[in-house]
Amino acid sequence: MSAQSENSVRRIVGLSSPPRESCALLRRAPEDISDILCVVRNSAFFPLALLVAVVVGFLFWARPALPFTQGGDSQATPQQAPSAVAPAPAAPSGPVIVLDPAHGGTDTGARGENGVVEKDVVLNMARAVREQLAREGYRVLMTRNDDSDPSYDDRAAIPNGYRDAIFISLHVSSTGTPGTASAYYDQLASPFPLATAPATAGAKLAPPAPSGLAAWDEAQRPYADVSHHLADLIQSDLLQSFAGSPPASTAAPVRALRSVAAPAVAIEVSSVSGSTPDQLAAASGPLASAIAHGVTELRQGSFGGAK
Amino acid sequence: MPRNLKIILGLLALAVIVGLISLRSLHRRMQRMVASRAAEEQARHAVLAPPISTPTDVTVKAKIFWAAGSDRVAPVEVEMPLSADPVERSRQLLQALVANPPTAGQRTLPEDTTLSSFYILPDGTAIADFSDAISSEMPSGILSEEMAVNSIARTLESNVPGLRRLKILIRGQEAETLAGNVDLTGFFDLNSAVASAASRPAR
Repeated sequence: MSAQSENSVRRIVGLSSPPRESCALLRRAPEDISDILCVVRNSAFFPLALLVAVVVGFLFWARPALPFTQGGDSQATPQQAPSAVAPAPAAPSGPVIVLDPAHGGTDTGARGENGVVEKDVVLNMARAVREQLAREGYRVLMTRNDDSDPSYDDRAAIPNGYRDAIFISLHVSSTGTPGTASAYYDQLASPFPLATAPATAGAKLAPPAPSGLAAWDEAQRPYADVSHHLADLIQSDLLQSFAGSPPASTAAPVRALRSVAAPAVAIEVSSVSGSTPDQLAAASGPLASAIAHGVTELRQGSFGGAK
Repeated sequence: MPRNLKIILGLLALAVIVGLISLRSLHRRMQRMVASRAAEEQARHAVLAPPISTPTDVTVKAKIFWAAGSDRVAPVEVEMPLSADPVERSRQLLQALVANPPTAGQRTLPEDTTLSSFYILPDGTAIADFSDAISSEMPSGILSEEMAVNSIARTLESNVPGLRRLKILIRGQEAETLAGNVDLTGFFDLNSAVASAASRPAR
């Protein structure tokens, strides 16, 4: 390493090292840290090592903060990388599918006469769906992986943190025909204050503002059409697996979907009252297939790359 | 026939007779309990939600939307006195919706639900303030909650002209959801030009 280049490096990183002569004369074994630094600075690889350290440091600092892990039964935290505990898929690709087991914690959701509660059923269902989707090569995240109850905004923040996400909220109903399943998309909202002309079903949504920013509470608005399309695709698959299900998806003001800035669908299986836990658990396979087919068809169609 | 066998048969016959008498008594007692419970229910409703009558009441055929099957609501024609005043008329309709479903299976709102207050703003916004029971006793689920909201909205829009949209409050406060799923922070459009959009919430 030339004296000129070493001086340049010193200027850049602000080192005030001992004079070069004292280092160059070091012929004995290094005894303390200053001796070690002296040897390192005299090495020809010093600039390269410095560069590598800076790059590695930057990459570590700038790594994406993934909110929840793909697998494992322990409480997932935003600091955990998904690959740490995930069932390793062959080659994860495509959109991030965010599975949202509804309710949790003190909010049990629907309660069956046999003690079955929705929050537990949907969590087990989401875990099974996640494994199946991961095996098929999808990147999958969950809004909760234990008996916690994240707020609606916390749940929405996960898909909203990705450029290419799809949000699927999983529910089990109290009522309805047992063994059926319905896909819901968020209803269009008419503006406040009350407009002169009433809202209509065919009203097209305004595109996102030129700045790309959208009100958090209105985040689903620009994705209403694509969410409707995805819900129809999923519903057509559900109809084949769950006999007696509605032929088309349904619009409903589902709170979990409102703040999601991505295609978002809620799927509700019927019901905690008329089904055993085993029957509800068996719904996971067809659910995963319907979601996977819906997502694949959505991306192959004209709605691909919604974000 | 041995004496012991005769005694046993006699005891068995006695037991059967006593059982039949007890069964009949038990049946009567159950009937009395059911009648008493219905009377209590009526008395409680009379206290919580006394019948509303106004000087302008006229008996008409009202369309009240109750559950028709497990996944939709449909109108049922009911002859009842309705006020000419839209606020009182709405209160009468919602009270009938809660209290008088033709069968238990057609109920869309919990039986303990009461309408605390009802307002109509000049722009046609109806504000219905329900007791906590509409949330705490509502079976949780997108389907059941959507049917509940639809039954309220459709009943009002079919019988009260001039209403444009509906806001549902619980105990005087805006609630985030009805029972964990359906969004109550917005408004539900009424008397929309397009029937399918009539229940869409405006936020």
